[in-house]
Amino acid sequence: MNRPLPPLSLYLHVPWCVRKCPYCDFNSHGVGAGASLPEDDYLVALLADLEAELPLVAGRELVSVFIGGGTPSLMSADFYRRFLARLEEALPWAADIEITLEANPGTFEQARFAAYREVGINRLSLGVQSFQDAQLQALGRIHGGLEAERAVREARAAGFDNLNIDLMHGLPGQSPALALDDIDRALALSPSHLSWYQLTLEPNTEFHSRPPVLPEEEALWAIQDAGHERLEAAGLARYEISAYAHPGRQARHNLNYWRFGDYLGIGAGAHGKLSRETPQDGGLIIERRWKSRQPEAYLRRREDPRGFVAGHRRIEAEELPLEFAMNALRLTEGVPMALWEAHSGLSRATLEARLARARHLGLLVEDDSRLQATPQGLLFLNELLASLEE
Amino acid sequence: MSSNENRKEISHIRNFSIIAHIDHGKSTLSDRLIQLCGGLSDRELKEQVLDSMDIERERGITIKAQSVTLDYQAEDGNTYQLNFIDTPGHVDFSYEVSRSLYACEGALLVVDAAQGVEAQSVANCYTAVEQGLEVLPVLNKMDLPQADPDKVAQEIEEIIGLDATDACQVSAKSGLGMEALLERLVRDIPPPRGNPDGQLQALIIDSWFDNYLGVVSLVRIFDGTLKKGEKIRIKSTGRDWQANEVGIFTPLRKETGVLRAGEVGFIVAGIKDIHGAPVGDTITHAKTPDVERLPGFQKVKPQVYAGMFPVSADDYEDFRDALEKLALNDASLEYEPENSDALGFGFRVGFLGTLHMEIIQERLEREYDLDLLTTAPTVVYELAMKNGEVRYVSNPSKLPDMADVEEMREPIVRASILVPQEFVGNVIAECENRRGTQLDMQFLGSQIQLTYELPMSEVVMDFFDRLKSISKGYASLEYNFERFEAAKLVRLDVLINGDRVDALAVIIHRDHAHSRGRILVEKMKELIPRQMFDVAIQAAIGGQVVARSTVKALRKNVTAKCYGGDVSRKKKLLEKQKAGKKRMKQVGRVEIPQDAFLAVLKVND
Repeated sequence: MNRPLPPLSLYLHVPWCVRKCPYCDFNSHGVGAGASLPEDDYLVALLADLEAELPLVAGRELVSVFIGGGTPSLMSADFYRRFLARLEEALPWAADIEITLEANPGTFEQARFAAYREVGINRLSLGVQSFQDAQLQALGRIHGGLEAERAVREARAAGFDNLNIDLMHGLPGQSPALALDDIDRALALSPSHLSWYQLTLEPNTEFHSRPPVLPEEEALWAIQDAGHERLEAAGLARYEISAYAHPGRQARHNLNYWRFGDYLGIGAGAHGKLSRETPQDGGLIIERRWKSRQPEAYLRRREDPRGFVAGHRRIEAEELPLEFAMNALRLTEGVPMALWEAHSGLSRATLEARLARARHLGLLVEDDSRLQATPQGLLFLNELLASLEE
Repeated sequence: MSSNENRKEISHIRNFSIIAHIDHGKSTLSDRLIQLCGGLSDRELKEQVLDSMDIERERGITIKAQSVTLDYQAEDGNTYQLNFIDTPGHVDFSYEVSRSLYACEGALLVVDAAQGVEAQSVANCYTAVEQGLEVLPVLNKMDLPQADPDKVAQEIEEIIGLDATDACQVSAKSGLGMEALLERLVRDIPPPRGNPDGQLQALIIDSWFDNYLGVVSLVRIFDGTLKKGEKIRIKSTGRDWQANEVGIFTPLRKETGVLRAGEVGFIVAGIKDIHGAPVGDTITHAKTPDVERLPGFQKVKPQVYAGMFPVSADDYEDFRDALEKLALNDASLEYEPENSDALGFGFRVGFLGTLHMEIIQERLEREYDLDLLTTAPTVVYELAMKNGEVRYVSNPSKLPDMADVEEMREPIVRASILVPQEFVGNVIAECENRRGTQLDMQFLGSQIQLTYELPMSEVVMDFFDRLKSISKGYASLEYNFERFEAAKLVRLDVLINGDRVDALAVIIHRDHAHSRGRILVEKMKELIPRQMFDVAIQAAIGGQVVARSTVKALRKNVTAKCYGGDVSRKKKLLEKQKAGKKRMKQVGRVEIPQDAFLAVLKVND
């Protein structure tokens, strides 16, 4: 191999929740409180899934693992211990590997935090969303505001100093004051990372078919303006459209997505992206692959000669500029142009050719060495991306 | 072929047209005539065979003149050759009617016995009478329970002045009275005059382009005999051609090899372009070049002009080819290249009326698979310049500097409207609203005939549709250009963020400009999506803004959460956005959807 491939991450999907939230369009399936999950079967499937993918990434160093869902905290620490043990045998790990687990900030999960830390998970992402019980209820969440605060403290006590709080804004019935109160309560807990999303009504969700009344545009704007200021003042710097972090605490796993790195996707409905060198010219073949989506179907795939893969598709050269920009331009600092060449296998000119219009519109920074959106470009990223396709 | 050898004596030929308003059953009547005379077997007799274009059939109207030759075995024992020349029934196509009538000695005036006389029929009937035709009144749809033959016969007498006491009462649908009609036709319509042995003098009634044959011309032989293989001369061009095919329509095209004085049929002579066989021209033999030209027809001038632009600039060449092909069959269609700042390269196209425009647009879109944007139709204005020059302008964006214009004049038409009494109030209000001046009002039976002078611009837009809708479909309209008349006309411009959008400009009366401007900017505001910046929409006359509205800028347009793992949904979203943008036109930095350009067409004062 004579060219370095992009950094490699691994995404692990746990497709179950106690209850599906009305805004969620991820591959998650509500099973009800106290339902027993096929933990053992799922682990066997995940390991088989991983085994089948290994030849595609043989010898490559793993820089991060992200366990997302669904609600991964429904699974025991032992489940992850067994998976990670095999993963560590199978692939070399970077010395500073980041292993994140998404957890629901409920009482039930808090008891498990210490055990999760013990099996090697070193970053926790808590789906707090809001500290206001009324808003949490509207979002269909099963935890309360006080519970969430306790969860953060528990997590820190369990040794998670690398900690993210997921917070949403623009919620049904939310005033700017309430939204800022959420931020203040989150900041009081000193998380090292904060993801701050505006609620959007996605297709194929309950909210899409029965839309709640959201705050007026001016209120949304006020929330965003004031919230951003408050987060920055607290030392959490925005480094992506919706992500804030203390210096050095950016989510490495997500950074790898945004920098168009590679990742294995293991588990029901998980998506992966992998590059390999073309034998002839040293270019790259970049492929997306995704796994069977329904948990039951995924489990059955163990006996299926097709394996777990539901589909795969090569990203064609003409699609690459958009795919790359869709990710890279979410970062406030953008990426060096050299990263495009390294991670697409294509020349600078192929990307440059698309940028003229966005530059003309003032959406891209005028700097030949970087691909970076202007502040206006960050606000109108959809326009920016569309302009690349014109 | 024996019947062809045994040609009819000229005294056994009858050439006739049918004058009828849309919906009064002309097509059904034609079909019934063809069927009775055995022109087509039942299998071949598709419904309404004479309306052969799809659009004609769908809209139930006839656009092009066509003919059919039928053999009728009359009660007197003779077989008569009936040449039936079809006429279009819409106000936009009235010139085609006079063309058809010119080739006939008689006409059937078909009136719906349940509905009564309509304006278009009146006008065509006058034309027929002026041309010396024998007009036979026919009351159709006698099978309907609401048929009132006495009332309608009286209307025919009062409105048209035709004796209708013994009008034929028929139902083309049921076949009732059809035999009697044929007998009357043979009895009352005079045979053509002419000498089969004289020098060839034939009139081109219509020419159209056939992909396989080239130009096919429908001709009426006034004198002489035309045979296959003969050298013919087109009088206006002076060019000679060989008559490759000569024959009749049965209604299917049938070669007979010969056409004699008094007959109507077709000729194919290897001509590749309809301008090589112009409608109204005279054909003679190459060896008799001095034969006089028949009077022919006045060239039809388009009355309405509009810009047509391909939505995608890539389609420009295809669009030009399609127009060329359509123009091959439509001598009234005029076009020249037009370049719009907003819409790019396209054509300024002249039409006979808005129906003609709609039909052309539909044919271009349907038959040639083009996606087109059409700007608001404009009539032709006359400009008296200060330097004494007179100019004609059919494109608002091409108006010269008004400082050089002494006077602007608009075309005025004389419109005749027939409407049942109960709707007359609505119609008068509509005419007044459109700046009409009443010239006359006559009570004719249960109908009223209104005569108005109206600006043509007010008539061509959607007046006919409007008349129909305010009279439950009963009002009928006929109009003719009368003169140019000075008027307080202005050009209403639309400015988007300060840029004048040429394709949205309209010429209108000053008294209507403000209200029209207000409606237009409000409509545009609804249709222009919010963008990254405020979009100011202004309506202006000269430098003066008369109405404005603003599309407020979006605060942002960014997906809050982009799940790094699965990009497919996000990509789909962007692709949707991209497809949407493709249908937009760029004016300055502003993206304007097609609908916004069409809005100007839909603004009613």
